[in-house]
Amino acid sequence: MAAGASARDYSFAAEYDGPPLPYSLPRAIPLDLSRIPLAALSSSPPASPSASSSPLPVVRPLTPSSLCSAIHAHAHPAPRSAAPAPAAGGAVVDSPTSVIENHHAAAHHSAELPSSPSDDEGAGGGPEALPLKPRHHQPAVTFAETSGSLLQSSDDEDEYEEEEDEDADAGEARPRAAAGQSSGSLSPAHWRGGRTRGCYRCGKGGGFWGRDKESCLACGARYCVGCVLRAMGSMPEGRKCLECIGRPVAESRRGALGRGSRVLRRLLSAAEVELVMRSERECAANQLRAEDVYVNGTKLSPEELVVLQGCPCPPSRLRPGFYWYDKVSGFWGKEGHKPHCIITANLNVGGSLDQKASNGNTGILINGREITKSELQMLKLAGVQCAGKPHFWVNADGTYQEEGQKTVKGKIWDKPIVKLLSPVLSLPTPNKAANQSGEDAVNIVNRVIPDYLEQRTTQKLLLVGSGASTIIKQAKFLYKSGKPFSVDEREDLKLIIQSNIYNYLGILLEGRERFEEESLADRRKISPSDPSSSGCCESGVCDEVTEYSLIPRLKAFSDWILKAMALGNLEDIFPAASREYAPLVEELWKDPAIQATYRRRSELPFLPPTANYFLDKAVDISRAEYELSDMDILYADGITSSDGYQLIRINSRGLHENCKWLQMFDDVRLVIFCVAASDYDEYYEDANGTIVNKMVESRQLFESIVLHPTFEQMDFLLLLTKSDLLEQKINDSPLTSCDWFDDFTPLISRNLLSSSSKSTRSSTGATLPQMAAHYMATKFKRLFQLLTDRKLYVSYVNTLDQESVRLAIHYGREIVKWEEEKPVFGASETVYSEEPSSFTH
Amino acid sequence: MASVAELKEKHAAATASVNSLRERLRQRRETLLDTDGEASLSSPLLVGDPLSWGSGNSRAFADCSVCVRLRGAVARYSKSQGRAPVSFNPTDLVCCRTLQGHSGKVYSLDWTPEKNWIVSASQDGRLIVWNALTSQKTHAIKLHCPWVMTCALAPNGQSVACGGLDSACSIFNLNSQADRDGNMPVSRILTGHKGYVSSCQYVPDQETRLITSSGDQTCVLWDVTTGQRISIFGGEFPSGHTADVQSVSINSSNTNMFVSGSCDTTVRLWDIRIASRAVRTYHGHEGDVNSVKFFPDGHRFGTGSDDGTCRLFDMRTGHQLQVYSREPDRNDNELPTVTSIAFSISGRLLFAGYSNGDCYVWDTLLAEVVLNLGNLQNSHDGRISCLGMSSDGSALCTGSWDKNLKIWAFSGTRKIV
Repeated sequence: MAAGASARDYSFAAEYDGPPLPYSLPRAIPLDLSRIPLAALSSSPPASPSASSSPLPVVRPLTPSSLCSAIHAHAHPAPRSAAPAPAAGGAVVDSPTSVIENHHAAAHHSAELPSSPSDDEGAGGGPEALPLKPRHHQPAVTFAETSGSLLQSSDDEDEYEEEEDEDADAGEARPRAAAGQSSGSLSPAHWRGGRTRGCYRCGKGGGFWGRDKESCLACGARYCVGCVLRAMGSMPEGRKCLECIGRPVAESRRGALGRGSRVLRRLLSAAEVELVMRSERECAANQLRAEDVYVNGTKLSPEELVVLQGCPCPPSRLRPGFYWYDKVSGFWGKEGHKPHCIITANLNVGGSLDQKASNGNTGILINGREITKSELQMLKLAGVQCAGKPHFWVNADGTYQEEGQKTVKGKIWDKPIVKLLSPVLSLPTPNKAANQSGEDAVNIVNRVIPDYLEQRTTQKLLLVGSGASTIIKQAKFLYKSGKPFSVDEREDLKLIIQSNIYNYLGILLEGRERFEEESLADRRKISPSDPSSSGCCESGVCDEVTEYSLIPRLKAFSDWILKAMALGNLEDIFPAASREYAPLVEELWKDPAIQATYRRRSELPFLPPTANYFLDKAVDISRAEYELSDMDILYADGITSSDGYQLIRINSRGLHENCKWLQMFDDVRLVIFCVAASDYDEYYEDANGTIVNKMVESRQLFESIVLHPTFEQMDFLLLLTKSDLLEQKINDSPLTSCDWFDDFTPLISRNLLSSSSKSTRSSTGATLPQMAAHYMATKFKRLFQLLTDRKLYVSYVNTLDQESVRLAIHYGREIVKWEEEKPVFGASETVYSEEPSSFTH
Repeated sequence: MASVAELKEKHAAATASVNSLRERLRQRRETLLDTDGEASLSSPLLVGDPLSWGSGNSRAFADCSVCVRLRGAVARYSKSQGRAPVSFNPTDLVCCRTLQGHSGKVYSLDWTPEKNWIVSASQDGRLIVWNALTSQKTHAIKLHCPWVMTCALAPNGQSVACGGLDSACSIFNLNSQADRDGNMPVSRILTGHKGYVSSCQYVPDQETRLITSSGDQTCVLWDVTTGQRISIFGGEFPSGHTADVQSVSINSSNTNMFVSGSCDTTVRLWDIRIASRAVRTYHGHEGDVNSVKFFPDGHRFGTGSDDGTCRLFDMRTGHQLQVYSREPDRNDNELPTVTSIAFSISGRLLFAGYSNGDCYVWDTLLAEVVLNLGNLQNSHDGRISCLGMSSDGSALCTGSWDKNLKIWAFSGTRKIV
């Protein structure tokens, strides 16, 4: 085992960590052919008592179809005979599971594996046998992994089961291989057709020509008129008998797919037949299986098959089999035959074209394929010089050139005689629609458009008011996992953020100028009274330099920004020029003067609160290659949907009374109205120059939306947002500063108020912000009750907290669900009138 | 400053004189109307009760009486000329196709002039181009913004335009190749409106010109190839609309003229070459004008409004020729609003869709209801949101909030009236 430690690098056991690969491992045994004579050994080991008692069919491995099991059966006696070996005993009788667990041992064995491939002869004896056993266990382990229950069973059973497994595998593999060779499994294993003319169900003899029968597409069983419906049921996959549902269609019958028959038309109404035929054509089980189609020797993947069948000019009547495809010219044919048709060129399907693909012997190559005689004739007709066995490149449009030469020598399809004679030589001519872009329109018109386009019923929730955009963004993160924002959206947001950052920077620079002047003025005030200081600053330079001064180069830059800002064209210059100025911006931001200004940002009234977040990252943002983080998007300023729910935000700016387009949203289930709780002391100037309280404005918007005829019967959910800001300011600015809230009288005991402003608690235990929020909610509820005589749902959120938004949206969905179930419970209004609250803090 | 007071006084006087002149102009117009003045309120043709039109102010009454007199006049004149009212049996107009496929409310539709193609826009965020004859879909276009309000087919049938709450008008080339998901690339986006795009129409003889109306109170003439605004109608100019513009219609006989209907209850006539001011403003409606459509001869146009009436105006004189107002429902005092209108190719019939799902066929001359498509068999279940007459006049297409479009055609045998 000491060797094991040294060989750990080769740890074989590590491979078991991956997903089980039941097929590849048996194949991995490299010694199949050399093993065959060894298989003869398997007849001798019956001497071993344990092996003889086991029911293993030892002879079976000799059949070439199940080589793998041959090795297996041969391997089986080996561990048995090795069992007495004391050193290896533990490992040998180990079940496969223990091999997996015993990484150490496995590592050791596998490490020796490559060095002793021919150790098999010594299988009988001693420690040398060690490397063998794990190798023979190797398939055992993987199989055990595939069927988990076997792991618990004894060794003998294990092996037995595995063998059956492998037999089954071989059985499966055989027809598949055969399918490849015989260009398609025309008659699957369960094919029953063609034996008798009678009905397969009632056994009655066929009618005249046996035509009054309908046959199963999968097994070919024929049923008479009386039995068809009983044998085929509702035909979810078209004409298939009940036991064949789910099986693939027999290739010989593929042509009949979707073609109604007389029998069916006699039995069913036209509409029903149409329905059955449609499901027959379109259901997944009846489609061509990609693995049956080989192109240029490579098995197609399902995606490739879709590409092949979905291209503008697909190969007609595609069936399982081997094909060659010339990507450059679009030629398509069966392997070993001349081209059959010309399909769309440059499809990325199959492998690369082989020179012998069409089995030609003319010595002339087209796109690397040796062409057949009839093709050569055609080339000659087309006037192509074929002396000297040239190699041609032929493009999809028919232009051809000799290999290694640049000049286009001509166009094959130019001569009308080529097109005339092609059918005679049964050679294809290009399809017009495929290669001529001018006729795309025809092509598009022929495209099938489904009758019904994506009819998902979604419950729509309408989002109105301030802070709604942040909620939408949060919802995108919550419900659009993976890619919440499209590339375009991110690009737009990036531009907005970048131009904002320059605005913020401009504000800072303005502030800097002000601070500089102030501090200079201060200093001048001081300096005359302090002659000593004026004396030491003789040069006058020192006099001018303050904490807020910039070096000349940056000063020029800042002057330029300020000038652009004054002219109002900062947005025009900046995001576009950010690449050039990113280093300057970085320098500017790192300059102590700016940093000093930034520290006094509370004195800059125009700097919005979110500016802090972005200015902290100013350097990153100003770079052109800046990528948004999710947090950036939330801070900056659609529609999002999740399983059956769609959140729609409408811009409250365009809303006014009796707004026409609100009619569009008459099918929403719930209106979520957002009000920023911190708005109560904020004002803005409207178009007429009057100062309006934002909260009062929100109330007006709320009224107009609630009273809008479209939302007459709609449920409303009020979201009080920005509760975090409310908490910050409620103690400094009383709620009564808003006219609407002038009767807010919180019951706060005096001693608590004096002790600590942060933990002001009323006698009921609620904090002041909580009480304020509750009071606002009550105000809105009363208003809603007054306007509509219904109940208003209220919830509190902090929009920057994802969890809180999730809860709020969840609450909205709950409301919709309650409303749905309401009729079920009858008029028991009380069930729903409980005070909704999802206050999260 | 004394001069300020003086100026104010002068201004007040000027305003007063302008108002009196306006009043005189109105009176003068009334006297010039080609009426015999004998139309009485007891006329059997009187359909609507003026009181039912709501607002009780005297101005409304005055307007109403004018309307009533006028209607009587046109109707009398028609009768004297031996015009019998058009009469339809309920089976004369039949729904011959139902275009199913949208999964949202249909908001707008448009026909191509030549090919019998229809484009429809729905709240499921899709435009579908239909072959009206076979009722098959030829194109399905998924839109970036699902809140689409209008769509239009280019005169050559090669491209479609649509617009909505995204405040932009998107152009799709129907010949462009759809990508793997079946999405069509947008060939151009016309941006510049500051409000939703409520209506768009291609200038009939120019593929590259498009007129849109918007919630920002303006109409815009676009050059589709460059995506530039050629001219903006309204907005800063005092003669523009003072509320959202809901609809435009281009005069087919003189494509330089178009009318726009707005939420300010007026209709304005514009000359494409003179963007600075409206050529004429037509008053009369008492509610938002939802739909305007030129009469086939290009000298008149019809309107449909939130006040529940349709009206016919003479483009050149500015007179209101006819009012088509329905009797109020017995059980409901609220009149259904007119959502969309269309004229038959001869102009003798006016089709009007109402918000309650009715679709009246009016005799344009006699102002009588000929038929209600909403009561016919297999009619729509929801509000009729848009109407369109095929260019040869053989079929009418209706789009509804019940997600379907229906094509109606005349099935009876009849002499041409």
